[in-house]
Amino acid sequence: MIKIDHLSKSFGNLEVLKDITVEIKAGEVISIIGPSGTGKSTFLRCINLLDRPSGGSIRIDGVDILDPKADVPKVRQKMNMVFQSFNLFSHLSVMDNLTLGPIKLLGMSKEDAGSKAVDLLKLVGLAEKAESYPDELSGGQKQRVAIARCMAMDPKIILFDEPTSALDPTMVSEVLSVIRRLAKAGMTMAIVTHEMDFARDVSNRVLYMDDGIIYEEGTPEQIFVHPQKEKTKTFINRVRSFTYHIASPDYDLYAMNAEIETFCDKQILAVKQRYNLLLIVEEMLQIYNPFLSKALLDINLAYSEKKESLEVVFESTGEAMNVLDKNLLSDELGLTLIQSVTESIDYQRLNNKNRVTLILKKQ
Amino acid sequence: MNKEWKMKKRVVPLLSFLLFVIAFAGCRKNELFITSFADAKFAKIGVMTGTTGETIANAKFPDAQIKSFDDIMDAVAAIKSGQLDAIVTTSVTALQVSKKNPELVCLNERLKDEDTSIAVKKEDEQLFAAVDRIVGELKANGTLADMNRRWFKKEMTPYEEKQIALPSRGQILKIGVTATREPINFVDKNGRVIGFDGELARIIGARLHRPIEFHNMKFMALIPALQSGKVDLIISGMTATEERKKKVNFTQSYFLNAQVMLVNKPGVAGKKEATEISSAADLKDRRIGVSLGSVHDAYAIKTYPKATILHYKTPSDIVLANMFVLKKNIALNKEVRVSKKTGEIPSFFAGIANSMQSNIVQENRYLLILEGLKTTVIISVLSTFFGTVLGAIVCFMRMSKNAILNVLAKTYISILRGTPVLVFLMLIFYVVFASVNIDPVIVSVIAFGMNFAAYVAEIYRSGIESIDKGQSEAGIAMGFTRVNTFIFIVLPQTVQRILPVYKGEFISLVKMTSIVGYIAVQDLTKASDIIRSRTFDAFFPLIMVAVLYYLISWFLMLFMEYAERLANPKLNRKPITNA
Repeated sequence: MIKIDHLSKSFGNLEVLKDITVEIKAGEVISIIGPSGTGKSTFLRCINLLDRPSGGSIRIDGVDILDPKADVPKVRQKMNMVFQSFNLFSHLSVMDNLTLGPIKLLGMSKEDAGSKAVDLLKLVGLAEKAESYPDELSGGQKQRVAIARCMAMDPKIILFDEPTSALDPTMVSEVLSVIRRLAKAGMTMAIVTHEMDFARDVSNRVLYMDDGIIYEEGTPEQIFVHPQKEKTKTFINRVRSFTYHIASPDYDLYAMNAEIETFCDKQILAVKQRYNLLLIVEEMLQIYNPFLSKALLDINLAYSEKKESLEVVFESTGEAMNVLDKNLLSDELGLTLIQSVTESIDYQRLNNKNRVTLILKKQ
Repeated sequence: MNKEWKMKKRVVPLLSFLLFVIAFAGCRKNELFITSFADAKFAKIGVMTGTTGETIANAKFPDAQIKSFDDIMDAVAAIKSGQLDAIVTTSVTALQVSKKNPELVCLNERLKDEDTSIAVKKEDEQLFAAVDRIVGELKANGTLADMNRRWFKKEMTPYEEKQIALPSRGQILKIGVTATREPINFVDKNGRVIGFDGELARIIGARLHRPIEFHNMKFMALIPALQSGKVDLIISGMTATEERKKKVNFTQSYFLNAQVMLVNKPGVAGKKEATEISSAADLKDRRIGVSLGSVHDAYAIKTYPKATILHYKTPSDIVLANMFVLKKNIALNKEVRVSKKTGEIPSFFAGIANSMQSNIVQENRYLLILEGLKTTVIISVLSTFFGTVLGAIVCFMRMSKNAILNVLAKTYISILRGTPVLVFLMLIFYVVFASVNIDPVIVSVIAFGMNFAAYVAEIYRSGIESIDKGQSEAGIAMGFTRVNTFIFIVLPQTVQRILPVYKGEFISLVKMTSIVGYIAVQDLTKASDIIRSRTFDAFFPLIMVAVLYYLISWFLMLFMEYAERLANPKLNRKPITNA
């Protein structure tokens, strides 16, 4: 349906997209993942010409939309977009947001557009908000309305530009489940997202973008489980983990706690688990405290959604020793606390480093 | 509660303003009594801007504080409120002022005798020769002497105006006047310019077989108007000074005027006139109005057994009755003045009634006010429409990516915002449209509209820029063209956001129009000037006009608030259809 050949885009001297060739077929759900600043959003915006490409060609059903004679607004009607910041029309009610396009652009009657809008609002679960205004809705509700607004135009493809990035963690799932529902219904979609699990189970194909090109593409299985290329592997691993370096006893405890909490937010960890994690880190640092003036300490948090397990790794330089050795501890209170919330505690000497691995108990 | 507070917010400033004015009017400053020029050495002297009186006063009283006024009635208002000690003006005007204000008197000494002449444009030699010849003939056959007798009267008897038949067809002769100087030239109850100059202008028109048209403007604007061809002749008691002779030609003099000094009459407060009530004792055989059953009722009956006591139900009835009596007295041509000394409440109302009578009722002056009101509203509304559209164009240019349009718009905005409106208005009238015969109302609309446009263009821009880009992007992504995105998505939100600021700009435009008198448009302010020039009432017309401006603004504001409600969708919720 959409065929993109050698697409490139530069902003001034900055070359954001280098050479992108890809084809999107009808009914496909494509996820576009990759680190920030690699041109994922720009790629999406180039497809519907919100940003005009610097080179290459885009053909939709065989029609080159970069042709100066092409009726761009007409083409855009076929591929609506959902934005990170929702972009609802704030002067219009939810109902009018949904009917404006169909009435003015598709020439639908007010009644038809209205009844269609009601159907779509039912689909996204917001029929009762029809007469509300955007500023009266929560973030998740706004994004669901924005999706319904896209659907109202009967597009052939919907482009999602990080649809959940601006949402509170508690609202992410309501939006994702609406998108899942559309995918099930056979809607063609291209989704730029940081929600890896969502990308994994909703899409037929995953594009990993890095450095302005499609670095690796394949089925979700290929990309998430067996990535072939180096950068893909690093990226897939990094998303699930977080590392904090401590180089002196005067480290910034509050900054570290804030970052750990951000990590927990991203992984949507339960409050209890988050509390336990912070408890472990605090108790471990208490135990490590005498050594911190001499040794470097790395704290690594890793969460596996599949196994639903949270792993904390403490890795310190210096001579070989297990800090949790009962003989070395002045008292066992800390250790008892840690043991009460962990499933397993494991010590290893690896690459001249002491490595303590703790796995938190499941909920 | 909010509404109540809003109301209070509106009423409080108005009331405090009125109180302030009344208090100010009540307390007079120490008056310096001048009986000769020697006394005026350090006095505060009022003069008329651009007149010979101004030059003479500056030369003769170097140590005095000379204050310039645009019109004689402003100076009279100032001397009455104690801001001035003396006024230098022409003998004819001074006579008129002292006739209407018994507390003011003209000194016998004369500052200077001067020729009053008709001014003609330098290039217009043919017209000059013709007018000069006519003035010569009028002087020779005694017409001017007769006019002098009929117009410059020492007593209050009515003027005897001679009807002059004017041709209805032919090239119009445009006469520049400052018709605020009774009896030289002034506006009568039908809105015609009459007086000595008015009649002279008609005689000249008749002799030249041309219909005439008066252009009533500020004195200082007369010569520029003549030079730019807006008028053909100035017949406005103008003195032929050396300086003016450099710019325009003057015919031979048509009467000899003199600059004199008008001062407060010494001990005027104690002086009684035949019908003036200045103390309670004067009331003994008069008709006294009292409120029925009030303490005043009993008091009046006891104290003034000989007086006719008339009972009224409310103070306003008393006021109305007073007006009626005044009317009768005026018909008998006796001036009734109710002195402040009586100091009772009815006298305050009587004062207002007196002012209403002379400033509104007499000579149907309310028609003048209504006409002025109409002009003010027309200019305000038309300039707003013009300015709104022009502002949109300027804003479009300002926001355009085209560098030339952008610079043009920026220049336009900075020039218009950096120039006083009055200066700009006069520039447009006397320079830009100098050789075009154009209705000054249209000129006003253009000038105010252009000024309004400069301000609202920036208001629009800030409104448009405040709407987040994402919404336009969403519109474009949906398939709207850029223009349609603007119309359906950006514009409605811009309107909603800028209306409060726009409203303020609009109201300030309404008030700004009060300067159109400079280019001979008769608006509300000018109407009050004309009335004040006849009645020499210092405060009433000003307060009346202030109240009228306030009411205009208030009504227009109500209208704008209605528009604001329309623009805010949340106030217009509709029930769900097709549920």
